[in-house]
Amino acid sequence: MNYIWEGLLQAVGLLLSLDPETCAAVWATVVTSTLAICASVLLGAPLGFCLGYCRFPGRKQVRLLMDTLLSFPTVVIGLLVYTLLSRRGPLGDLGLLYTLPAVAIGQTILGLPVVVTLVATAVETADRGLHITLRTLGATSGQALVATLWETRFSLALAAAAAYGRIVSEVGVAMIVGGNIKWHTRTITTAITLETGKGQFATGIALGVVLMLVAFGVNLLVASLRRRSGP
Amino acid sequence: MIYRLENVRQVYAGKTVLDVPYLEIERCAILGLVGRNGSGKSTLLRLLSFLETPAEGQVFFESKPAAPEAQRLRRQVTLLCQEPYLLKRTVFANVCYGLKLRGEASRPEAAGRVAAALRMVGLDPVAFGPRPWHALSGGEAQRVALAARLVLEPKVLLLDEPTASLDEEGCEAAARGALAARDQWKTTLVVVSHDKEWLAPLCDRTLTLAQGKLRG
Repeated sequence: MNYIWEGLLQAVGLLLSLDPETCAAVWATVVTSTLAICASVLLGAPLGFCLGYCRFPGRKQVRLLMDTLLSFPTVVIGLLVYTLLSRRGPLGDLGLLYTLPAVAIGQTILGLPVVVTLVATAVETADRGLHITLRTLGATSGQALVATLWETRFSLALAAAAAYGRIVSEVGVAMIVGGNIKWHTRTITTAITLETGKGQFATGIALGVVLMLVAFGVNLLVASLRRRSGP
Repeated sequence: MIYRLENVRQVYAGKTVLDVPYLEIERCAILGLVGRNGSGKSTLLRLLSFLETPAEGQVFFESKPAAPEAQRLRRQVTLLCQEPYLLKRTVFANVCYGLKLRGEASRPEAAGRVAAALRMVGLDPVAFGPRPWHALSGGEAQRVALAARLVLEPKVLLLDEPTASLDEEGCEAAARGALAARDQWKTTLVVVSHDKEWLAPLCDRTLTLAQGKLRG
């Protein structure tokens, strides 16, 4: 048990002294997760709206695909993005492999199905009266899209929070596509994996604490949004 | 003549729910529609509001076929459903929303129009304007929804059971609002209601629907 307490104490010291290596991992996580969640929401919200609102051939199949992608293993997504971005891959010329944008791309693929399916469900379950009201007040299709997204804004925020939770806690994509390069692409989760493997529990615990704080913050936000969504 | 329906038939899941060989509705008229549940009243309102197109026949609006112009016409014709939906906004924003869709919300007179519409349904704009959607009773929500249609100064106002959740005072306010729309903007009204006592003095003409067919 001693090593756990020692690890905890050292972790507090690392956090309080703003240890550069720990801060670098936190920063890399903030950059990749922010880029990924922005891209997931910007792409996923309209796609989710279309999936929930429009009726088109193959809609059920697209829905099934999105549901399947929800449980896609992160290492498989990492592998997929790796093959695309590696030198021999179709996007190899971009030179993105082992960079933070590459990790963000993989994490976007991870977060996108979460946003799409949750927004689609929110739009599908939105009161049928909303659709009729918008049309009878004279809304065009574009205006109906914006209004429906606004009316389901609390659900959209919940979708973003859920997607962020998945993005920030993943390790497979960051490890394979980012390469876990110290000071560059080492994120909180890849650092925890590495430090634990080396028996350096203090850094692992310190980063784990940061990750738990992030998860706590996201859950707090979700709870607050649920309250605000009201009756 | 504002509406003309010719050989209109509407079919849901293979079953004919409305069959109107011919119907004319005069401009500025107040037409009442009565009938049992499932007699086709709401279906007729959905056709008149261009939310649906008939399976057969044609609806003419101001002597022109309505189907190709449905989107544009929905800006002139508005429907208040039996269970109105209020947007998750304040009362003021709800009433102003239709003006916003038309790009008229930023005009200086918009706030005055919203206040006037609320007064038309017997609601004080100062007290009710800032209230959120969830702080209203069923009857108040119904009146706000009616105000949101009146503010548009529509050519046609279609009301589906507008008094369903209103008390006596609310019913009177709704009737006053509907009559004021006709008097001020020459709005044509088509009103569906089970409340014959409320409907009779309001309407110029009342039609009965039974099993999808009109009876004068």
